[in-house]
Amino acid sequence: MSQKSVMVLDDEPIVGDRLKPVLEKEGFGVEVFTDSDAALGRLKERNFDVLVTDMKMRGPTGMDVLRYVKENAAATQVIVITGYATIETNREAEALGAYQFIAKPFKMAELAKLVSQAAKEK
Amino acid sequence: MEAGGRHGAMQGEGGMEATTQIRPDGQPDEAPAPELREAQATLLGRPRISIRLRMIISLAVSFFLCVILASATLQILHRVRFKVENLKSVEALSFHVQQARRFEKDFLLYGTSLDAAKENSEAALAIYEGQASRLRQSAWNGEAGQLGEHLEAYARLLQSLWEKRAVALQGDAREKSYVLEVESALRRHGSEMSGLSEQLVVRENASLDDMLRRSAAVTLGLLVLLLVLFLAVAVLLNRAMVNPILRFEAYNRRIAQGDFSPIRPARWYRDEFSDLAVVVNQMLAALKVHQDRCVKAGKLAVVGTLTSGIAHEINNPLNNISITTEALMEGFKTLGDEQKWKYLQDIYFETERAAETVKSLLDFTRKERLEMKPLNVVDVIQQTARLVNNEMAISNVVFEARVPGGLPEVLGSFNQLRQVFLNLFLNAIQAMPQGGRLLVTARMGDDGKVCVEVHDDGMGIAPELLPRVFDPFFTTKEPGKGTGLGLSVSVSILKKHGGDIRVESEKGKGTTFCVCLPSASDGSSKPEGEET
Repeated sequence: MSQKSVMVLDDEPIVGDRLKPVLEKEGFGVEVFTDSDAALGRLKERNFDVLVTDMKMRGPTGMDVLRYVKENAAATQVIVITGYATIETNREAEALGAYQFIAKPFKMAELAKLVSQAAKEK
Repeated sequence: MEAGGRHGAMQGEGGMEATTQIRPDGQPDEAPAPELREAQATLLGRPRISIRLRMIISLAVSFFLCVILASATLQILHRVRFKVENLKSVEALSFHVQQARRFEKDFLLYGTSLDAAKENSEAALAIYEGQASRLRQSAWNGEAGQLGEHLEAYARLLQSLWEKRAVALQGDAREKSYVLEVESALRRHGSEMSGLSEQLVVRENASLDDMLRRSAAVTLGLLVLLLVLFLAVAVLLNRAMVNPILRFEAYNRRIAQGDFSPIRPARWYRDEFSDLAVVVNQMLAALKVHQDRCVKAGKLAVVGTLTSGIAHEINNPLNNISITTEALMEGFKTLGDEQKWKYLQDIYFETERAAETVKSLLDFTRKERLEMKPLNVVDVIQQTARLVNNEMAISNVVFEARVPGGLPEVLGSFNQLRQVFLNLFLNAIQAMPQGGRLLVTARMGDDGKVCVEVHDDGMGIAPELLPRVFDPFFTTKEPGKGTGLGLSVSVSILKKHGGDIRVESEKGKGTTFCVCLPSASDGSSKPEGEET
């Protein structure tokens, strides 16, 4: 089985920095972005098995990235991190086909488990 | 200070309902009102001259003058009637004199009518005797006496003629010469008497005319006096009623503009309008309490708007701390010292970041004494911008501040000015849901004030709504998104600072709010510092 790929997108640099070694230990190929425009650029170049994205960011939001991914690479599983979840954003993201929500502050072990699950279900 | 006592004093004085709210820090909810107390005391301390009293006095004086006028007119009428009576009798006297003389002629020529002449002369003499005392009192005294003498002599002569009539007819020569003598005396007295009586009629006529003229003058004079009195009453009532109403109109305009300072006495006495002023002052105190509550409500509403941003601002560092701690625990044995040190540093700074957010939130909502001190508007702008950083990120708003160096410091309360700018920034951000640029510029105003302009290139405000934006509870936002208190609260804060706020807007192009504050070095500004 080839290595599964994960993109982590959060404008907080610490999130990507801490998640990367954990997910790599799980056997994923991990790319970390803090800027959603750069992430969208990378998504145009290649597909990922799992996308972990923050919701509220400067520039294109997590919702925009989710929409782009579902339109262009529907197979990618998207896990959405939110700092402040509202019912409206949850519904919208669900309708767009998000795999799962996880609220900040989260446990890395929990997130890693979710990513593995998503990758398996793909 | 003991809060309850201070409040109790206010209640006792104003007698109004107010609930004391003691905050956890022991500060009473409402500001003490020494200014109000002083205004009320001075208002009530003036000697009382009520409008009612003044009206009663002026009406009484007017009535009294009318009574004088009426009695004077009656008096004059009485005297005129007396004069007319006199004239009538004088004319009768003159008539009898003329008659007597006619009959005298008849007698002398034809020897007839002596009885009639005698009767008339006696009638004239009787009238004269009735009037004698009055006639003698006048300036006509001398002539009156003469008239009397002539009348008496004439009557006497006629009497003697009547007695000697038979003798005269017989033609006794001695008697005849006596009769001739009597006849010549009779003619002399008759002509004198007739002339004097005619003179008397003329005189009495002239006197009546004179009296009528004089009485007209007196009546007119009294009317003029009455007119002057009425004018004086009109002026007095005007001063008592219209001037205070105009003054109260001015007070109303001032109060409508948000100046809640109490009405001070404008006159040395007090009347019903002073009572009104006292009641209005009580109302102002109540309004001030309400406004303070509105300020607080406005603050809480802003906090509500900030909630999502604040949740982010706290959850992000919490998450960073959480996952870094997790990574540290996981790799406690495997990680190098340098890596561990970096993780610990991350935890340390992220904790500070969360604490900073909480602190700025607390700073914002905390009620503290309003301390006016010189401060740099640039600091206020930057600190406020930090509070709304997240809101701007979410709405894709770019913040840009263009502030020249060397701007003078302004005198004010950091927290209150931050609340003003926070309101303006949040409005600007909410006006640009599709993102945009929030531009803040500062400059020296023409009148030595420091002016800060907050521009957005959002949806703008319709011209017909523009005059209402500073009204309390006016909002263009959807229900639940805004309380409509932000700008009205900002206005009252800026008023306290001796500053002002203006707005310009073009529908579809954007809005600019301009806040001007007196510089700290400008001695002319007198901000009324009390409490938030």
